[in-house]
Amino acid sequence: MPVIVVASSKGGAGKSTTTVVLGTELAYAGADVTLLDCDPNRSLSLWAAKAPLPERIGVVSDITESAVVRVIKEHDADGRIVIVDLEGIASRMVSRAISQADLVLIPMRATVLDATIGVRSIALIAEEEEALGRNIAHAVVFTMTRAIRSKQQNGIEASLRRQGVSIIEPPLMERAAFSALFEFGGNLRSIPEQGNMQGAIENAAAFAAAVYGELRGALQ
Amino acid sequence: MNDFSIDLASLKRRAKPGSETSVAKTDKVAEARGFVPREPQGRRGRPKSPRTGQVHAKVMPEVAEQISAEARRQGVQQGVLIEKAWELYREKQRGLSRK
Repeated sequence: MPVIVVASSKGGAGKSTTTVVLGTELAYAGADVTLLDCDPNRSLSLWAAKAPLPERIGVVSDITESAVVRVIKEHDADGRIVIVDLEGIASRMVSRAISQADLVLIPMRATVLDATIGVRSIALIAEEEEALGRNIAHAVVFTMTRAIRSKQQNGIEASLRRQGVSIIEPPLMERAAFSALFEFGGNLRSIPEQGNMQGAIENAAAFAAAVYGELRGALQ
Repeated sequence: MNDFSIDLASLKRRAKPGSETSVAKTDKVAEARGFVPREPQGRRGRPKSPRTGQVHAKVMPEVAEQISAEARRQGVQQGVLIEKAWELYREKQRGLSRK
């Protein structure tokens, strides 16, 4: 089953939020999902501890750099979609996880700093593709975006597209409900109402559908 | 509203490299990009000595100085010299008993 790696060497780019939103939406749509918490900050484990896990979701924690390839392979074989959440640093753990990916998602806020650091992950993927002799599909995910796009976001998007980088549409917007997932656990359908709940659910579902489409394309 | 569903049959597992050679290749390109090991590499400091036995020896000061100087010269602990001396003594004993 496919492995989605969520990677950016910048902290605060929205990796764990992307992982939880994507994982819970894919599970809601019918997939069995395993979330691998490879971040020493244990964001996924904290989310998992807040409430009973939603149906069809499993979480594996405390994965070390030396074990990451083996653990991904173990779960890659058991018929579930695997989503790997990594720490926001440039580490060997990141490169090893990328080597096992069917799709790498690179979350970034629409800022020049996030884009500059995100591009380093894209460059690493390109070099791993060359070293390993296989294509590793990847796409940028804009996170914490606003309803009205900033000039900066438009500029960054245009620049990435010119370089042939895929961008997941829609982006994950700035939503109270997304951050509340880490307060209450569970999924967007189980947490108490937060702001524009319907908007958050629609955004999350459309985002997960777009990632699913990207993944299917990568597996062709 | 969630209007998509997952067709699990369409999501086939693909073989991925996992051999030590491919991991080493990955590590090499990663390191060149500044993606470096962050985990502690083995135990820090001097490895534990297997020499846990003790002897309680008082010797003349000049002998102590000579043992100390010889250990420094050989780059070993004084206990290693005592072990060597003991081995020589044992050999000598064995030689005597064979005569």
